[in-house]
Amino acid sequence: MTRLQTSVRALSWVVAAGVVLFLLAPLVLTVVVSFTSSSVYTLPPPEWSLRWYAAVARKSGFWDSVWLSVSLAGLSTALALLLGTAAAIAVTRGRFKGREAIATFAVSPLMMPGLVVGVAMLQFFRQVGLRDAWISLLIAHVVVTLPFVVRTLLAALERFDFSLIDAARTLGMSYPKAVLKVLAPNLAPAFLTSGLFAFLASMDNYPVSIFLTDARNKTLPIKMLQYMEEQPDPTLAAISTGLIVLALAVLMIGSRTVGLNRMIH
Amino acid sequence: METELIAPAATTILTGAPSTQDAYLSVAGIAKSYGSQTVIEALDFHVRRGELVSLLGPSGCGKTTLLRLIAGLVAADSGSITLGGRELAHVPAHQRNVSVVFQSYALFPHLDVQDNVAFGLRARGRPATGIPAAVAEALALVRMSDYALRPVGLLSGGQQQRVAVARALVVNPDLLLLDEPFSALDRKLRETMQIELKALLRSRGMTAIFVTHDQDEALAVSDRIAVMNAGCIEHFADPATLYARPATAFALEFVGLSTRLAGVVRHCQASVASIETACGTVSANADFRPGSAVVVGVRPERIRVVPSGQPVPPGWNAVRAPLTDVVPLGARTHLYGRAGKGNAAGASVGEGQGDGEGDRLLCERANTEGGMLGEAGSAVREGEVLGWQWPVADTLVYPAWTA
Amino acid sequence: MRTPRTVDGFVLLAAPALVYLAALYALPLVLLLLKSFNAKGSFPSIAGYTEFFADPFHLKILWRTVRVALLTTLLALLLAYPTAFVLARARGFVQSLILLALVLPLAVGVIVKTFAWSILFRSDGLLNKTLLAIGLIDEPVRLLYTETALVISAANVFLPFMVLPIYAVVRQLDARLPEAAATLGAGPLFCFFRVIAPLTLPGVIAGSAFVFSMAVSMYVIPSLIVGERSQTLSMLIARSYLFLRDEQLGSSISSILLLIAVSVVLGSSWLLRRLSGGKT
Repeated sequence: MTRLQTSVRALSWVVAAGVVLFLLAPLVLTVVVSFTSSSVYTLPPPEWSLRWYAAVARKSGFWDSVWLSVSLAGLSTALALLLGTAAAIAVTRGRFKGREAIATFAVSPLMMPGLVVGVAMLQFFRQVGLRDAWISLLIAHVVVTLPFVVRTLLAALERFDFSLIDAARTLGMSYPKAVLKVLAPNLAPAFLTSGLFAFLASMDNYPVSIFLTDARNKTLPIKMLQYMEEQPDPTLAAISTGLIVLALAVLMIGSRTVGLNRMIH
Repeated sequence: METELIAPAATTILTGAPSTQDAYLSVAGIAKSYGSQTVIEALDFHVRRGELVSLLGPSGCGKTTLLRLIAGLVAADSGSITLGGRELAHVPAHQRNVSVVFQSYALFPHLDVQDNVAFGLRARGRPATGIPAAVAEALALVRMSDYALRPVGLLSGGQQQRVAVARALVVNPDLLLLDEPFSALDRKLRETMQIELKALLRSRGMTAIFVTHDQDEALAVSDRIAVMNAGCIEHFADPATLYARPATAFALEFVGLSTRLAGVVRHCQASVASIETACGTVSANADFRPGSAVVVGVRPERIRVVPSGQPVPPGWNAVRAPLTDVVPLGARTHLYGRAGKGNAAGASVGEGQGDGEGDRLLCERANTEGGMLGEAGSAVREGEVLGWQWPVADTLVYPAWTA
Repeated sequence: MRTPRTVDGFVLLAAPALVYLAALYALPLVLLLLKSFNAKGSFPSIAGYTEFFADPFHLKILWRTVRVALLTTLLALLLAYPTAFVLARARGFVQSLILLALVLPLAVGVIVKTFAWSILFRSDGLLNKTLLAIGLIDEPVRLLYTETALVISAANVFLPFMVLPIYAVVRQLDARLPEAAATLGAGPLFCFFRVIAPLTLPGVIAGSAFVFSMAVSMYVIPSLIVGERSQTLSMLIARSYLFLRDEQLGSSISSILLLIAVSVVLGSSWLLRRLSGGKT
């Protein structure tokens, strides 16, 4: 390797290290701040304390919003897995025209401005007379989570060797059984990964949700922004730390079962 | 038991080797280690101008590493590489003028055939006006002129290989290196391509080094073959010599088939050794200290199988062993025999000999008229004890510890 | 040879998702688009759009939104490109660490990250304190509510979306290709510009399209980092619906934003198709 190449390589490592710091620093910061004893965000904290975690429990509407977010995320992910898997199978195995267009269409919500989608849905629901916030939110969250499922499952199905099912059938398995015993386990990692990411995406969603909530149905992100406007204190850091722990747990599950590397692809 | 070989040591035997003066490529004292693993240790290797040479050996023997060292893709820990008088050790790969054809061809997927071929010329800053003609000429040489605008992803394996060769040759390299260039092709295509490539390289007087694990390939394309094992060159010679008189037991085993018998030298006089094996005593033209453990080898076409009691002509060896397999192979037949257990004279055996395990007898006969046993004219039965005879001069002997 | 029945079967599988998306996602968007052409009761009319573009305040916001998105994309690309290569070459612990650093922020979500940045950027925040300590500045710099802060935090949030597509492409890059280039006489620069860059271009395009479209439509980050002072298009949309109650304006801006997002998506996939058109 020439000297130019060695120095370029060294520089990239420096950049990568910087990027890792850049990406993780805000999270580390939040966790540190959540343990401060003061009611402002000064760092380093004058003293360590758990008071903000206690304060979280007392925050008005907090647990309601947590429950709403979790149930929405769970339900919408489940629905997305059903709809998305079916669609992904159809696209990879079918021979009808417009398969690629369907795939792009199913993944497109990811690229759309969330706010615009939320507004459009709000106006539409109002026009058709749907006033229930919870149902509106559920419908919207399925749209939010579906792309994750479709994208991951498409990739997994494309990689899957369908001749394995044929092999199983020549060994005596019926078609449904072969699908169950051969395809499903192979897709399990994809289910898990996409399900986890879809769940998190739903938990984190703001732009689509903001237009569909009402006074009684506020998801956690909306509640958090509300807290930020009303009373910006380290309680938010405590809540954020909770979410970070949740994310870490999800990733841990993912990496133990599927492997961090596979989760990305 | 002491084993000592009084004959020349079998490390790097250069049969008909050039003196280092007329060597075009000189690799001297090259060493390469990866961490604690030594891949190549103090290797010497010289190639004449215009020669086609193969590095032949099993995986892990260091042949690819040696190739990459010569190409400049890895740096040697020590030693020198000289090409046409120019020392290459500190010259980066892109300045060595050594082209490489990779096993996977490594064609640039984002360029079509003619841009692939033109790549080296453009990289070296050749004037743009001369490039199309050079590319056309190179493509014509490999008979790919009609594919100039084809995207490389659409080419078959053989076509890709030809483009890779054209790309490597168009820049007029001082040396061409090829890493298993035929391994991805199917058998039939392989031989055609080998003949074609050899003719092409000859016509340009190109010096080339092939890396391969396939002995047939090495025998087909090379002027000389370097048999490598564990980072060393065991024998470097032309195919005929390599086949008839391999310098080491490894070379014997790696190139071609052979009979293999473990034995102990009983006595040795006037450079004729008498060796006791599990199926009889044989003589060989070699110098060994009595008591040495050795391995005896014979090429299969040198052996003839005869009925057990048949007399032994003078100057011939003979052993007795049961026939275990008869393998018909179209134009010829292979007859396998197993050397019996135990030693006929009951003498103790040396280290690494066991009791005839691993020994095999192999005779190859052309299927001419007269049946399986030629002169005897009678058919053979499996299990029958037969006589296996061959000229003493064709007996190859190696120290047991080198096998 | 598939019988027509089998083909229909697969279409049926795709139907639920298709119908769902068509009715509850595409249709509302189309209606919104149509509504934007329904100015003051007459249809079709582009009055809503002309009104929007006539106001210099709106144009300023439009330009700001696009500018911020471009800068964010550029910054993300500069940081992501070397990182993708390092990630491709890393093994074991280092690789896991980099992957974690990329995926954890994604999993944690925009709100948490932006909140963290808002703390960082405060006058008494860590960033200012560090800069003061190093001696780079004499007094706290106003970082919060600046466009610089917005670009930095947006690049931070969207960085994984730039790294991963490029990483995916780099991973598949045949290691023999740069070697082949070198043996043919290509120096490191020629090799980079003629071999590596063209081959990583699809990843760069995909990542940039992703990041740009997300940056142009982002709402949470600008709300928290720059607030009302320098709005972006999405903030304007929210304002027009939630505060101004001007649905006409809201639908016009929404359509413009939608148009930008869609053209980025379509443009990048067209580009990608053209790039891979010459290959297999």
